[in-house]
Amino acid sequence: MRAPRVPRGLVPVLVFLSASCGEAGRDDAGRMSLVATLGGADTAGYARADRPRAFRFPEDHGPHPAYRTEWWYVTGNLADGTGRPVGFQLTFFRNSLAPTPPASSSPWATSQAYMAHLAVTDTERGAFHAFERFARGAELLAGARARPFRVWLEDWVLEASGPEATFPLRLSAAGGDVALDLVLEAGKPPVLQGDAGLSRKGPEPGNASYYYSHTRLPARGTVVLDDDTLTVTGAAWMDREWSTSVLTEGLVGWDWFALQLDDGWELLVYALRLSDGSAHPLSEGVLVDPQGTKRRLTWGSGVLVEALGTWTSPHSGTAYPSTWRIQVPDRGWDFRVTPVLEDQELNLAFRYWEGSVAVTSFDGATPVSGRGYVELTGYGDAPLPKR
Amino acid sequence: MSLVRRASRRHLSRHPGQLVLSVLGVALGVAVVVAIDLAVQSSREAFRVSAETVAGRATHHVLGGPGGLPDSLFFRIRVELGIRASAPVVEGYASSPLRPGAALRVVGVDPFSESPFRPFVAGGPSGLDVSALLTVPRAVAMTAATAERAGVGLGDSLPVLVAGRRAALPVVGLLDPEERLRRSGLDDVLIMDVSSAQDLLGMPGSLTRIDLRLPQDSESGALEAVRDLLPGDARVEPAGVRTAALSEMIGAFDLNLRALSLLALVFGMFLIYNAMTFSVVQRREMVGGLRALGVTRREVLAGVLREATWIGGVGAAAGLVLGTVLGRGLVHMVTRTINDLYFVVSVQDLALPPAVLAKGAALGLGATLLASLPPALEAASAPPRVARTRSQVEARASRAVPRAAALGGLLAAAGAAALAVPTHSLLVSFGALFLVILGMALLTPAGAVLLVRVLRPAAARGMGVLGTMAARGVVTALSRTAPAIAALVVAVSVTVGLGIMIQSFRGTLARWLDGTLQADVYVSLPSPMASRAAGTLGRDVVETLSAFPAVRGRSTYRGVEVPVEGGVLRLVGLDLHPLGEGAFDFLEGEPGEAFAAFRAGDAVLVSEPLAYRRGLDVGDSLTVPTPKGARALPVAGIFYDYGSDQGVVMMSRRTYRRLFDEDGVTSLGLFLDDGADAERVVEELRSLVPADRTLIIRTNATLRSASLDVFDRTFQVTAVLRLLAFAVAFVGVLSALMALQLERARELGVLRANGLTPGQVWRLVTTQTGLMGLISGALAVPMGLVLAAVMIFVVNKRSFGWTLRMEVGPDVVVQAVALALVGALLAGLYPSWRMARTSPAEALRSE
Repeated sequence: MRAPRVPRGLVPVLVFLSASCGEAGRDDAGRMSLVATLGGADTAGYARADRPRAFRFPEDHGPHPAYRTEWWYVTGNLADGTGRPVGFQLTFFRNSLAPTPPASSSPWATSQAYMAHLAVTDTERGAFHAFERFARGAELLAGARARPFRVWLEDWVLEASGPEATFPLRLSAAGGDVALDLVLEAGKPPVLQGDAGLSRKGPEPGNASYYYSHTRLPARGTVVLDDDTLTVTGAAWMDREWSTSVLTEGLVGWDWFALQLDDGWELLVYALRLSDGSAHPLSEGVLVDPQGTKRRLTWGSGVLVEALGTWTSPHSGTAYPSTWRIQVPDRGWDFRVTPVLEDQELNLAFRYWEGSVAVTSFDGATPVSGRGYVELTGYGDAPLPKR
Repeated sequence: MSLVRRASRRHLSRHPGQLVLSVLGVALGVAVVVAIDLAVQSSREAFRVSAETVAGRATHHVLGGPGGLPDSLFFRIRVELGIRASAPVVEGYASSPLRPGAALRVVGVDPFSESPFRPFVAGGPSGLDVSALLTVPRAVAMTAATAERAGVGLGDSLPVLVAGRRAALPVVGLLDPEERLRRSGLDDVLIMDVSSAQDLLGMPGSLTRIDLRLPQDSESGALEAVRDLLPGDARVEPAGVRTAALSEMIGAFDLNLRALSLLALVFGMFLIYNAMTFSVVQRREMVGGLRALGVTRREVLAGVLREATWIGGVGAAAGLVLGTVLGRGLVHMVTRTINDLYFVVSVQDLALPPAVLAKGAALGLGATLLASLPPALEAASAPPRVARTRSQVEARASRAVPRAAALGGLLAAAGAAALAVPTHSLLVSFGALFLVILGMALLTPAGAVLLVRVLRPAAARGMGVLGTMAARGVVTALSRTAPAIAALVVAVSVTVGLGIMIQSFRGTLARWLDGTLQADVYVSLPSPMASRAAGTLGRDVVETLSAFPAVRGRSTYRGVEVPVEGGVLRLVGLDLHPLGEGAFDFLEGEPGEAFAAFRAGDAVLVSEPLAYRRGLDVGDSLTVPTPKGARALPVAGIFYDYGSDQGVVMMSRRTYRRLFDEDGVTSLGLFLDDGADAERVVEELRSLVPADRTLIIRTNATLRSASLDVFDRTFQVTAVLRLLAFAVAFVGVLSALMALQLERARELGVLRANGLTPGQVWRLVTTQTGLMGLISGALAVPMGLVLAAVMIFVVNKRSFGWTLRMEVGPDVVVQAVALALVGALLAGLYPSWRMARTSPAEALRSE
């Protein structure tokens, strides 16, 4: 699952407001002055994810403005011809500031706010680059549409590149000295998460999201890393999720693992963390076979996760778990999941850790290895950036 | 304590009245200078702070023409050029019934783009609920102080009027920037989302400007790229250039006020000179004694100057306090004039820059020392033992009369020569004006002596010996009467000069209005700025009102401001009804040809101030930036216009529409059928205006009187200065004449002992002071006329580019003489009262 990447408690109602003009990773002085929040419980006027629905494509690739929040979340691991690895993340968040658009004749008028994050991991040089942008959902600045598919924030774009409504997708974004220009092929069909796409995040009805994933999108293209332009291939993962109210009481964040194995299987695990550090019973795992068929794994028996160490960010002082042991007894898997780089913290207006990981055998007996992305939210004490 | 100091202290303590009057003279002079300086500086400072606060940390501004900038330009700059530190701004003005008279500046921004520019509108802890700002229609945020002045709070609605349309703006944020400066920079500023501001100001899809923040190393490349995208009437300018250019618009206004305020200080100097001379003369015997006791010349000189320093210091300090109080009153008048004529500025507090106060103090002290220098030198030059006798002093003074007159003539001639120099420089003009005033002041003793000779026979006939004595007293006590007369003459002449100038200006304006206001009914938008409106009337209103049965024709007027190098160009697209052609009084150009060219082609008509500023003649061409690029338009005529000292360019509505792709109407002139009752038509037209709008519909006569009201408001400051200058001079004359008469105590005592009755003493003193008043009045009239002529034909023309017709009403002249006479007579009251009731024996007792 892809939760709003917002530390603790502020979820789900965020206004991504700020002024991220500087694209460069920001220092404390340049930190944004504001993350305004609306009253968290105010869901009046919005649609709720309270029952299973029929997903229709390509329409559901587009925006669902009746719901408060929504995101398009792409991560992936790439490598050039020499095997030089590159990890990337490009995410678009949509947030409704009001259930209905304001009455206005101005082209600027909108109730939609967009935020986007771009991150690139240059494993060889040990460098991690992260950028954020904010914009209102005004036509030429930011927005999303289904047909032909396009989601954009200024010139960061994910869009249909061929004659079809959706795939193949073109992903293009640049920040500082890094740039991505990739084509993502359809790969496996979408996997509907949770109960036929209704992903429950709490016991109350409506505390849920609509959630589907493309777990393996073959990717190719170019990546610019400082002065080098690499021709790359690899695999991406796209999550799509929309909701109005997600988090239940007591949840502080989550650990999310999206692992793509060399034999064509994918493993998704998410642990919803409670304030005492334990996992909420709604945490679970999902197994996707090479044909795209999914199987749910029960937390604690079907899938077991154990953090082996911690890493403390020199930027924020936040301590994150680092390196895990993940077991799937049914498949006989016992993995060690290791960040390719410890410092993959997005020290932005919303601070979290999201990074490329290597999947290897923990005990030497598991025959398969792979790559993946891990996301850690809700760590650290400062949900709001310093002023 | 030295002997000199003790003597000095003793003398001053025995003549407290003299001391007080001297201090008062300095204080008033300093107060006027400081008050004007503070008022003007405060307005400028408020304007600068407001401009800087609203501009934020932008390095450059992209400025649009009258139609604004298309939204798409921002998107292109932001996305295509990748200049991410860019922000759209929509600006305009609103008024509110809750803030009568105030111009509220509407600033529409995109909060998402704001933090590189104006962190205080990026929201959050500073108090801005950005989400509400975006999603609540017409939501507004403002500083807590601004809200408090309007009496609104969070959750309330602020009623406003924009371009005649009423709207209610929900208050969703109260800003409380930490810096005091920034808070005052946001006084009367309404922050809105760019979408709401476009709605409110009626400009959907267009921006007033785009702010950029360019890093220095890539600045030129980025600017080049931006320029390539711009429409023809848009400009990109470094931040601050516009503010400075706008601020320059009030340069002439500012300088005129300062020059007038300096006059008050000059009067103050006369006063000091007079008081110090008098106190030195009084002490001539004592000075002689001190010198005999071994006190050196240098010590005497230092002693007198020390006294002057004390008087100057105390006077200046009092002047600063008084000036600050006075400044508070003046700043509102100054601000209103600036708002009416130049740009919108909101001044809530009088700024007290230390530099202004220091300058005021230094001027006061310097003026005192300078004015005291001649009497100090006079005292120091006295030989030991018996210093000069009174008669010696007076003899010297009499001998000095022709020399002063010669010098005065020379100075006045030099001033006149400087005035003849064809220059636009105001400093030269004012310098010359001061030379003329000084020259004429130096001529007054000679004039007085001459007039006494003329008046003596009359005085003798009327009052016998007493008359002759009174007249002769003026000449024999010349060392004291001359400065007093000079001060009175200068003060009265300046009053006369300013009075004639204002009268001429008003008369010219009234005549011009009579000619210009040819239509019977005028329709315009309410605007917080008297001389210009924001927004347009709306096509529906224009058509509805024009179609009214009694209306037989109309002229439409579209006024816009186009940014040009170093300022703005006021431009009017005019659809002139043939009946309205008489509105133009041409200074240059043949009306028939001018109108033909104006109607047929691109030719423009240019107002006199603009032609003066730019040195334009008929046949020249004027370059006007348009969305289609810069166009050189031929000048077909230059007309008299007193509406704006910045000047206007008139082009036909057809030309305007073609060049600017825009067809709004700012105001409307309606011609009625013969015999129609304009008042009644106005009433009926008002009922045709849609309910949500407020328009100003008025008759020719109402507009005329409203225009004259604005004029009177503009000259209020000048009128106040005129009054203050006179007050200073009056105090001077009072003190001089009073001291003069009091000093004559002994002489009058002798006369009383010889049988002069108290009534006769009273008549003697009154006749003498009255004579001096009469003389001053008589001398002040020609001098005032000269000053008026200089101000009207040189200073005004060079300051504002206006040709005024000089008008001299008898009332101004009568007023002047009466003023001088009354002042002088009042000054004689106390001394004669005292003399009359003092017994001769008492009076004869030496000091």
